[in-house]
Amino acid sequence: MKRQAIAEALRNGIAEEMERDETVFCIGEDIAVPGGWGGAFTVTLGLEKRFPDRMINTPIAELGFFGVAVGAAMMGMRPIADVQYGDFLFLASDQIINNAAKMRYMSGGRCQVPLVMRAPVGATGRGSQHAQSMERYFTGVPGLKVVAISNAYDAKGILKSAVRDNNPVLIFEHKLLYGSKGARVESGAVDATSEIPDHDYVVPLDQAALRRPGSDVTILSWLLMLHFSLDAAQQLTNERIAAEVLDVRSLAPIDYQTIGDSVKNTGRVVIVEEGPKTGGVSAEIAAGIQERFAQYLKAPIIRVASPDIPVPFSPILENAYRPSVVQIVQAVRAVMTPHAKP
Amino acid sequence: MTFELKMPDLSTTGSPIKVLRWLVAVGEFVERGQAVLDVETDKATMEVEALNSGKLLEQLIPAGQEASAGEVLAIIGESSVQSTARTGESRHAEEPYDRNFLLSLYRRMLLIRQFEDRVKSLFLEGIMPGTIHQCQGQEATAVGVCAALKENDFITSTFRGHGHALAKGLSVQEMLDELFGAITGCCKGKGGSMHMGNFEKGMIPGIAIVAGGIPVATGMALAFKMRKTEQVVACFFGDGGVAEGAFHEAVNMAALWSLPVLFVCENNLYGASTRIDQVMKNTTVSDRAASYGFRGETIDGNDLLAVYDAAGRAVEECRTGQGPVLLELLTYRRTGHSRRDPCHYQSKEERAAWSASDPIVRFAQMLLAGGQVDQTDLDGIREEIDYEIESAVEQAKTAPRPALDDLLTDVYAGGEPV
Repeated sequence: MKRQAIAEALRNGIAEEMERDETVFCIGEDIAVPGGWGGAFTVTLGLEKRFPDRMINTPIAELGFFGVAVGAAMMGMRPIADVQYGDFLFLASDQIINNAAKMRYMSGGRCQVPLVMRAPVGATGRGSQHAQSMERYFTGVPGLKVVAISNAYDAKGILKSAVRDNNPVLIFEHKLLYGSKGARVESGAVDATSEIPDHDYVVPLDQAALRRPGSDVTILSWLLMLHFSLDAAQQLTNERIAAEVLDVRSLAPIDYQTIGDSVKNTGRVVIVEEGPKTGGVSAEIAAGIQERFAQYLKAPIIRVASPDIPVPFSPILENAYRPSVVQIVQAVRAVMTPHAKP
Repeated sequence: MTFELKMPDLSTTGSPIKVLRWLVAVGEFVERGQAVLDVETDKATMEVEALNSGKLLEQLIPAGQEASAGEVLAIIGESSVQSTARTGESRHAEEPYDRNFLLSLYRRMLLIRQFEDRVKSLFLEGIMPGTIHQCQGQEATAVGVCAALKENDFITSTFRGHGHALAKGLSVQEMLDELFGAITGCCKGKGGSMHMGNFEKGMIPGIAIVAGGIPVATGMALAFKMRKTEQVVACFFGDGGVAEGAFHEAVNMAALWSLPVLFVCENNLYGASTRIDQVMKNTTVSDRAASYGFRGETIDGNDLLAVYDAAGRAVEECRTGQGPVLLELLTYRRTGHSRRDPCHYQSKEERAAWSASDPIVRFAQMLLAGGQVDQTDLDGIREEIDYEIESAVEQAKTAPRPALDDLLTDVYAGGEPV
């Protein structure tokens, strides 16, 4: 057992998978430059020394190299493609949505695309174009699996599951969760380290995780907002409110089994999401709960999300953009008081 | 035997279609594919082409009157055997190729032409679903390139992929079944015309986003190189794809990593309805290769053996680590961009000039001039193909359609992860 941060856990997971299976390779920008960065957030740092032929450093050409990854995956390789910032997925999205996600169906099941894609998201002092919460754009794409990681244990286990899966899997990582110590730490970073076992393990791609049990209300969130939700749940104990916190984790498909078990128990739901409220993943989850578990709901579902604006730069505005612990606490109070306005 | 020429299903609204003028008089001979009359729909003025060759026996709807889709317009008499080939000069007169090999190439090109013509007639009869993008006139590019590949080499194609598929070895039956949306189709009826492919035969589904297949082919080549399989991928795309970022990003990487990929640009002068010189200052596509540091070449894409020779050289370079290569094949699309396109943007002079350089006619002329082959051989091939296609059409019409349970399958790969 070793305590590791997400960046390190991902790096070790990638290295172990590359050791285990010689068809696994990494492809991306600035991922294999001696003396370089290991990608934008150090995840692949130093791997080019161990795997000189399988760390493919690309030109700045997201559409192109995501397509290259799709083609290589169809021919029996297992690429791990990453973008430096999730926002760049818009450039790659033709290859992800039109090719990776649909190739199996269009071919009548004859082709498969075992491709892992990694993308950092989240508002972190970089203005509007290196900050967006990109999950919403990919959760409604049949053929893709979409997951979000909130701690180091999951990071390694989900990465390994994704590499071993025969479908395209898009992993969202949060820039404030990679590590909360060291030279490259981000302002506002949150401790998401975990004890990592020495043995090989995987974390399934289709399961939500219970992070804190409670009986009064279910808080659903992922990535950074999961950590904020846990803080809010802790504060709510002062008010004798026992909030259950689920890490939704699997955004496509959504694990309505685990979510449903909690909703049946509490009857009250708050969904917390970083990113504009309109068209968010929280809207999908709220509708999905409504369709399946309406009879268990004691109060309308409440969502906490960012306003419908681009991500601002000024720290005071960015903090106001990102849902806060206080907002989550208020939302829980509101859902505990049916018919009162939040 | 006589044939009925019916009003095609041209109208988008189902309203009657007006006969503007007859272009062929009663008693005159028409070739299959020749315009017989002009009609006017709610959308455009179009030509109705003969689906069979023969003498025009009757005009049933006079000019100025309207007819509905499916209504019989004319009766065409049985064709006397028409030769597509005329004897003439050939610069391949002293070719060194095996006679059977040459005949197999001829057969493959004619198969594509006949297939496309038959598919067109099935669409116009209104019994085939969807839309189509056809390749009549471009047969030599598909056949010449694929003849230079090995069975385990791969190709990628586009929305205009019927010819590539037939050239790579897909069967007429699995393709017609696919076009009819049958479960027995090469993609179980889930791909359709634009996504024709068969992985086991070295063709991934056609990628119908312009240039979308170019990065994918590059990645396939990267896999071949990393796995040291000595396979090659030939990536077909049109001149329209050259303006896309995907082309430039992918060829740059292919050059950078010396990948075994043959980029085949079928330059047919038009991206949809837009002529190449309206969208490019430098209309020589092969020039792009030099700026990325690899070899490009422009070839007469209607000269089958020129294409085959150039592709053979390029494949050899790719296989020996000297790839990629960009081959620009100059050719011409004789049909519309898609189903209801009457091609009014192509001038009559331009069409006539390219028609005179038809790849199948030219190759037949060369074969006949070489003396190893006579007209009987070519006619025999045509009859075999007609029979093969007609049998396949009949089978495809009643081939089993997918069950509704098939709707939800093949989305995700199941089974145990590795």
